[in-house]
Amino acid sequence: MTAHGISLVARQEIRTRLRTGRWKVLLLVWFVVVNGFALLFRLALESSAGFDWDVEEGVIMFGGVLLAVLVLTLLVTPALSAQTINGDRERGTLATLQVTRLTAGEIALGKLAAAWGTGLVVLGLTLPSLFLPVVEGAIGIGRFVVVVIVVALLVGIVCAISQGWSALLARSITSVLMSYMTVFGLLVVTPLLFTLAVPLTAQPVDGRYRSYSEEHTEYVWWLLAPNPVVILADATPRLPERGVDHIGRSAADADPLGDIGRSVRDARAGDDGDEESVGPVWPYGLGFNLVLAGGAVWVSARRLRAPARTLPEGIRVA
Amino acid sequence: MAEPNAVPRQELISTAWTEPSSPYQAPGSPGGTPGSPHWAPVGPHGAPGGPDGGEHGIEARGVFRAFGTVPALRGLDLTVPYGQVTALVGANGAGKTTLLLILATLLAPDAGRISVAGHDLSTHPEQARSALGWMPDTFGVYDQLTVDEYLAFFADAYRLPKGEKPRRVRALLSLVHLEDQLGRPVHGLSRGQKQRLGVARALVHRPRVLLLDEPASGLDPRSRVELRDLLRSLAAEGVAVLVSSHILSELEEIADRVVLVDHGQTVGEHRMADLVASGPNGMGRARWRIRAMEGDGLAARLAARPGLGEVGDLPGGAEVGPLTENEAADLLAALIAEGVRVVAFGPVGSALESAYLAMTENMTQSRR
Repeated sequence: MTAHGISLVARQEIRTRLRTGRWKVLLLVWFVVVNGFALLFRLALESSAGFDWDVEEGVIMFGGVLLAVLVLTLLVTPALSAQTINGDRERGTLATLQVTRLTAGEIALGKLAAAWGTGLVVLGLTLPSLFLPVVEGAIGIGRFVVVVIVVALLVGIVCAISQGWSALLARSITSVLMSYMTVFGLLVVTPLLFTLAVPLTAQPVDGRYRSYSEEHTEYVWWLLAPNPVVILADATPRLPERGVDHIGRSAADADPLGDIGRSVRDARAGDDGDEESVGPVWPYGLGFNLVLAGGAVWVSARRLRAPARTLPEGIRVA
Repeated sequence: MAEPNAVPRQELISTAWTEPSSPYQAPGSPGGTPGSPHWAPVGPHGAPGGPDGGEHGIEARGVFRAFGTVPALRGLDLTVPYGQVTALVGANGAGKTTLLLILATLLAPDAGRISVAGHDLSTHPEQARSALGWMPDTFGVYDQLTVDEYLAFFADAYRLPKGEKPRRVRALLSLVHLEDQLGRPVHGLSRGQKQRLGVARALVHRPRVLLLDEPASGLDPRSRVELRDLLRSLAAEGVAVLVSSHILSELEEIADRVVLVDHGQTVGEHRMADLVASGPNGMGRARWRIRAMEGDGLAARLAARPGLGEVGDLPGGAEVGPLTENEAADLLAALIAEGVRVVAFGPVGSALESAYLAMTENMTQSRR
């Protein structure tokens, strides 16, 4: 496997993609819509925040826009790579590639690099509105860099998983559907499962005056860990302390990312501890997702290997 | 065994296909005798190749492949010598495409030993690939690319030296008569032009073994003639060419050898000359169509002669056979001697077609 082969495949993918023309329009629309909404969001914050003296609009804007960007980008990502392999097979261009001196790994990684690269361009177009709070000084540059890296990794993970589906399944429509189901699973099903699992952890406690049941979120916190929102929120560096409010919390108020991160760590700590007594949650989630993505890359490289012994159900090699 | 890349290769397009002005010759190519020096004539049933397995472009022995429970290949044998065009002939579903996919290193056989250009496919598929050109029966092109970008991409994928690439692309385009399409997008090509572009793609890396699955489908008559000439010139330069086709009359002009495949098995490997000519083996039998002047009593005289097979009446003539060329010549001489004024006397369809039909007829009968 060589870098030359990978970059050859990646350049070919990007070139054929850019030539379809409508990409430029789509990217332009994406840029205008995302940044436009972010600015509207900011304006709405400005006009309603007059009464609240300690709210920093930049922090809310950063957190709110970032979460929206994360979810939107993850929704776009399956479209980038969920039909790169079976789509080529349907068009009849895959087999001619496989008989060249390009190896299966080069084809798989090249296609992944192209999809990820496109995903990063999509992400990059949203950055101007995220960078505004940094310019204002509300958000440190370090925090900005960390969140961009985490979102970029998450985009890559979804690219890899989508490509794995496109290698496994014969029809591109099925693999696109499965990729969206995967994103849906990570974003929506994980908190749903957590919510359903929490009552199951309840254990009866014999109190001095009456019996009651106590929920143990520390047994099921890991259900939340693979969630991209959780990973991003928890991995984001905490804002510096700014005085103490009436419940003893000492971080900035109204920081969407910090709030999510704290509540996830609270869940991990359970009733007996607090969020500062436990370690972060995001390494588990990111690690799990990276293993998933690595597995998907391995599967797609394996599926591209020729000569093939087994074929996906109902496909022609060429 | 020599690496394919190390062998000095005669430039594939040194024949009439090159523009006269093209100065391009592969460095170190021997100026003469392009044909493979070590190809031996193959007997009617595929004499085994050399002990090292490198004598022939393709040697396949006992190839089995099933898709689920459906067997596609059941112990197929095949030899494709260098310097000849071998035709793969068989009914739909006989296993031709499966065999070509296996030879193209895309599909693994369940059992069997295959070597392509001296490389064992089970252990060194990647080495076989650099000596192998393959054109599938249906394939897609990258619609967004231009014709030359398309070929340049495959030149890169086969790791052709950078400096050689532009010349190679231009030479290939003129080889398949697409030089006027330079810089045009691939999606603007007609079906036949795309087919020719596919041939050029298969030749990008100067393969010593060329596999073509139904190459003539979708080609106009002019392009077919050109394809035929191209394949003949490649064979003349020592390339082992394997062509599968349904158009038997055409294979007769292209191929030196015919491999008949039925139900995933080789049922015959023949020299084309043996197959179409009459001989003691009787393979060259065809039906013959005779036309004679009316009133000369052709029908009566034919009816009076034994051994003419089924005699059919045609307007102004008759059809007899199957007869070998010898028998047909005897019949013609006799008819003329008897005063029949014959105006037309010829085989019906191509001899290969007759042989193929006769052979498959025999097989269906013997299977019952």
